[in-house]
Amino acid sequence: MFYVDSNGHRQFSGGQEDWQSTALLAAHCQEFLPDVEEELVSDDPRSCYNCRLRRWTATSFTCQASDICLNY
Amino acid sequence: MQIAISIDDTDNMGSRGTGALASLLAEEIELRNWGTSRFVTRHQLLVHPDIPYTSHNSAMCFTAEIVPEHLQSIIDYAAGFLDRESATGSDPGLCVVPVDCLEQCADLIAFGRRAKEVVLSKEEAYELACRSGIHLSEHGGTGQGVIGALAGAGLRLSGNDGRLKGCLPVAVRNGRISVAELRVHGDVDEVRSIDGTELAGDEQVRLGDKVKTVLLEGKAVLLIEPLACAADGVAWQTCSKQRLKRY
Repeated sequence: MFYVDSNGHRQFSGGQEDWQSTALLAAHCQEFLPDVEEELVSDDPRSCYNCRLRRWTATSFTCQASDICLNY
Repeated sequence: MQIAISIDDTDNMGSRGTGALASLLAEEIELRNWGTSRFVTRHQLLVHPDIPYTSHNSAMCFTAEIVPEHLQSIIDYAAGFLDRESATGSDPGLCVVPVDCLEQCADLIAFGRRAKEVVLSKEEAYELACRSGIHLSEHGGTGQGVIGALAGAGLRLSGNDGRLKGCLPVAVRNGRISVAELRVHGDVDEVRSIDGTELAGDEQVRLGDKVKTVLLEGKAVLLIEPLACAADGVAWQTCSKQRLKRY
């Protein structure tokens, strides 16, 4: 679900509207950290899209958690 | 007189969000009897590799009706507040727009819209602020936040951009409420269907867990959508966060 982009960042391959995968990923993530209310976009509270450690890119987001599993 | 206060790039990964600081500023204006603040809105700006941002690149803005002689006090207070409260490593910017005296409102709105599409410079921001009589100031780091702060003010004044900060407290019976009851809620200016359908006051709405409004035509608008399967007289539901993401 993640790949290392040309800048060395771990980018999510599912884009910005893969609600199911991001909920599943966050459910298993030890570093999930909910963002502030105004930045929440997923109806599933525990989602990468709602995590403070996601950094939006033009088409997806990069994960800034320290020990993400790239092959999850 | 009406002013718009917009701030950007005040946070880091572990700090309070920029929205929290905007809310504190709005409250302080009222506590000091400088004026009456309205709701805080969030405005999404361009996400681009050439733009430094923490995680989402959004600006926060609110308007206030103030006593004109307090304008400079408000600017001074907001500037000091950002100096003190912005997070380490952030690049905070402050924008205060005296809306009633603004001569280049169309240009300001255009700047805000461009900030959603292209990379803008501090020079462009200062040039517009200077010729429009807008206060724009940097409060740490590179001060790059002035671009987003100015853009946030423009987008707020466009009246058609962004989501309101916070969720609506709505008391309901059995998870449902009528359109008429929602229309008289203090934090809702208007209830609209997302598809443009005209709504009767007695239409019943199922509320989601978090009910949020968006800024449309300068109003706090609660958007609702048809339920896939109407049941028990309830044909509508509030829009999900996912549906509101594009605002």
